[in-house]
Amino acid sequence: MKNQNINYNQDYKYGFTTDIENIKAPKGLSEKTIKFISKVKKEPKWMLEWRLKAFNRLKVSKEPNWQKPKFPKIDYQDLYYYSAPKSMKDKPKSLDEVDPKLIETYNKLGIPLNEQKKLSGVAVDAVFDSVSVATTFKDELTKKGIIFCPISEAIQKHPDLVKKYLGSVIPISDHYFATLNSAVFTDGSFVYIPPNTRCPMELSTYFRINASETGQFERTLIIADKGSYVSYLEGCTAPMRDENQLHAANVELIALDDAEIKYSTVQNWYPGDKNGVGGIYNFVTKRGACRGKNSKISWTQVETGSAITWKYPSCILQGDNSIGEFYSIAITNNYQKADTGTKMIHLGKNTKSKIISKGISAGKADNTYRGLVDIGRKALNSRNYTQCDSLLMGNKCGAHTVPYIRNKNSSSTIEHEATTSKINEDQLFYCNQRGLNQEEAVSLIVNGFCKEVLQQLPMEFAVEAQKLVGISLEGSVG
Amino acid sequence: MLNFKINSSEIDKIGNFTKEEKNFRLKNLNYFNDNGFPNKKDEDWKFSDLKTIISKNFTKLDIQFAKSKKEKVDFIKDFEHNYIIITNGELSASDFRYEEKNKINLESFVNDNYSNEKENNPLINLNHALSNKGYYLEVKDNYKFKKILVIYYLFTEDLDENILNSKNKIRIGKNSELHLLEYLVNSSKQNFFNNVYEDVVLENSATLKNIYLQNNKSSGYFHKYSVNKLFTGSNYTSFIFPAGLKFNKLDLEFNLEGERSECNLQSASFIDNSEHQEIKTRVNHLSPNCKSHQKVKNVLNTEAKGVYQGKIFVKDVAQKTDAYQLSKAILLSESSEFNSKPELEIYADDVKCSHGSTSGNLDKDSIYYLMTRGLSQKESSKLLINGFLNEVVDSIKSNSIRNFIKTKLQTQLQNEHKKH
Repeated sequence: MKNQNINYNQDYKYGFTTDIENIKAPKGLSEKTIKFISKVKKEPKWMLEWRLKAFNRLKVSKEPNWQKPKFPKIDYQDLYYYSAPKSMKDKPKSLDEVDPKLIETYNKLGIPLNEQKKLSGVAVDAVFDSVSVATTFKDELTKKGIIFCPISEAIQKHPDLVKKYLGSVIPISDHYFATLNSAVFTDGSFVYIPPNTRCPMELSTYFRINASETGQFERTLIIADKGSYVSYLEGCTAPMRDENQLHAANVELIALDDAEIKYSTVQNWYPGDKNGVGGIYNFVTKRGACRGKNSKISWTQVETGSAITWKYPSCILQGDNSIGEFYSIAITNNYQKADTGTKMIHLGKNTKSKIISKGISAGKADNTYRGLVDIGRKALNSRNYTQCDSLLMGNKCGAHTVPYIRNKNSSSTIEHEATTSKINEDQLFYCNQRGLNQEEAVSLIVNGFCKEVLQQLPMEFAVEAQKLVGISLEGSVG
Repeated sequence: MLNFKINSSEIDKIGNFTKEEKNFRLKNLNYFNDNGFPNKKDEDWKFSDLKTIISKNFTKLDIQFAKSKKEKVDFIKDFEHNYIIITNGELSASDFRYEEKNKINLESFVNDNYSNEKENNPLINLNHALSNKGYYLEVKDNYKFKKILVIYYLFTEDLDENILNSKNKIRIGKNSELHLLEYLVNSSKQNFFNNVYEDVVLENSATLKNIYLQNNKSSGYFHKYSVNKLFTGSNYTSFIFPAGLKFNKLDLEFNLEGERSECNLQSASFIDNSEHQEIKTRVNHLSPNCKSHQKVKNVLNTEAKGVYQGKIFVKDVAQKTDAYQLSKAILLSESSEFNSKPELEIYADDVKCSHGSTSGNLDKDSIYYLMTRGLSQKESSKLLINGFLNEVVDSIKSNSIRNFIKTKLQTQLQNEHKKH
């Protein structure tokens, strides 16, 4: 019953399932499950110990409950924490050996896994349920000394780097879902850019939840060494199911002196159907640390999917003159709920941060911007600018803004502004008059509303994101 | 560490109550005893950890306070006015010489609302449990006050580590109008805590203009919770000029219940010397076509901490709402701090809601400009601070009152500048 696919939602084109045999960990959350995951991944002892430490911490921590969207209690014992396509057990050496069904899935998703699509110039790491399926363009990256591989591989091949940085931005004791991830994370991407290197192409990961009753817990770790630059893209989709699936990922970014990381996400998990049945719970912890002087971390996100999103990509600006940026579009329709925003924690001198957030809610959805700007006593001459705009469509939805603003020294300046309104009727009328129908007009106006953020996305994503904005709002007007 | 638990026998010492009232008081007292003074774990007290502040500064909190000796009142001579005198929270004298007496009703406040509604704020529980003074002021329907009414809140010098709990209620009848100046005069040099619960009702088309002014700085710890109900077409304007207290939290709730009701809140303050001030507002737009406007300005000097928490809530039926919120802070010292949380919670689509919040030092270009015109650095910054705060004062319509407040603010600023 639970595994049944529901087909009546035509708007979500990624809703198909792929019929692939899976290997699953024993159901439920226990030491046994964690040992199983660690064993399957052939992990060294220190990694297992690290996981168990997180698991012990989990026993005493509680689920957070301060967020706006409330959700039914998750039964953590009724989940599979590890699910892998069977054919992946002996890791394929090249793409030819990958299960053609998997390749087909990714082709359906439009992800350039095949090397023949070299022209697109994006190196891809694809994560299917719990394991990383394939990584492309490895040779070219290796030449430059760039490491881009599944994190399970990095644990074995580059233990020093992983040991040094894993958990240094999101400690295992952080909060319930981050701790859960630390205990049971299965795979994810690992990126290391050596000093003074500019990564020649966009790096990209595609996440896909396929199996039912499965939680996906991936972990991404990106380290940009001195003077390096990397742009990283992340996309996610899931099949349509009438159950709620949990996705609790951790992403850690570390930028050393003069390094820059640009992290873009287009999140399109299954949002549930028109009546709010099913959909992904997207409880993600993303945090970046600008450790070095003049470093920069920039988050861009387009959030259109998921039944519930809790996500606050943050920047800890430790290095002097470091810069943090956050650009976000969150679109909610039907019964979707999003509570998203950012934290900018200024610790170093002359640090700067900029927040642009655009929230759109339609149907019966709730959209919340929640953010923190904290300028410490020692962060002299720091600067923040925040702008959050919300757009409401219909009187059944809600738009909320909850910014926390703290300024602890007199040489720093914080500016914050927020507006909430509906689509201007004059603008709609103008578009109608020029021959656009209501939906086209709304899509055009919304795209204009989001332009500031869409501009920040890399080319390949920008086009997709624009389409997504249109699709997500279908049926919300009139 | 100060023990916050209060024995239930204290309630009997306050007075003899009906069974119903006693139960109400006991229930609230238990709730307070269970929770204690609020601390930063409470969302509403995130930036003002009262528990720590109290335990740092008080060795005891005396609930019972014997009636103090009569205080001499230094009446305002700048303009003609009616007055009410409240000494340590208790109604002690009144004079309505410019008004028709039968249109006004003033008495000591008696609480008759024993609602079971659970309060989230332990200080309200404390007030419900222990309050034994206060006033009830009613302006009957269709009556406009001819002169301003000044309420002198006096705090006598014999207050020492006492806690005062009082309840006040003001009702403005249909088509009536009242201009009010709440004037706080504090003679106590010792620490004391003043906990006020206020209930204001504006009937259809009523108008209330309220100015809250503190005469001088003091070592009081003040908390005031005020709930204001606005019915159709009513209009509430409030100006808040605190002069600085050791701790001051104004928790104001406005319920715009009737269509076309309007509320306007403005505040300007200069805080200094480890003073802690928080203004928390919650404006609930519950009907269509209502307007709310808030402007909170703070200048913060050495060790001062300022907080603004403002929330605008718009119910789904409250279409055509126009709500605005602005908080501006100038930080003059490395050791000053400003925290704000301007919040919007909106469920109606045809609305215009916006907020802005800024904090930072004085604009360097402006100072430079003034200095090129021959002013010293000190004079320039003084001029800019004056301009910043006077924007609020200038929107007071009555000349004599505006000038009175301007002079008060000037003296405050002058005292500050002398020190530096």
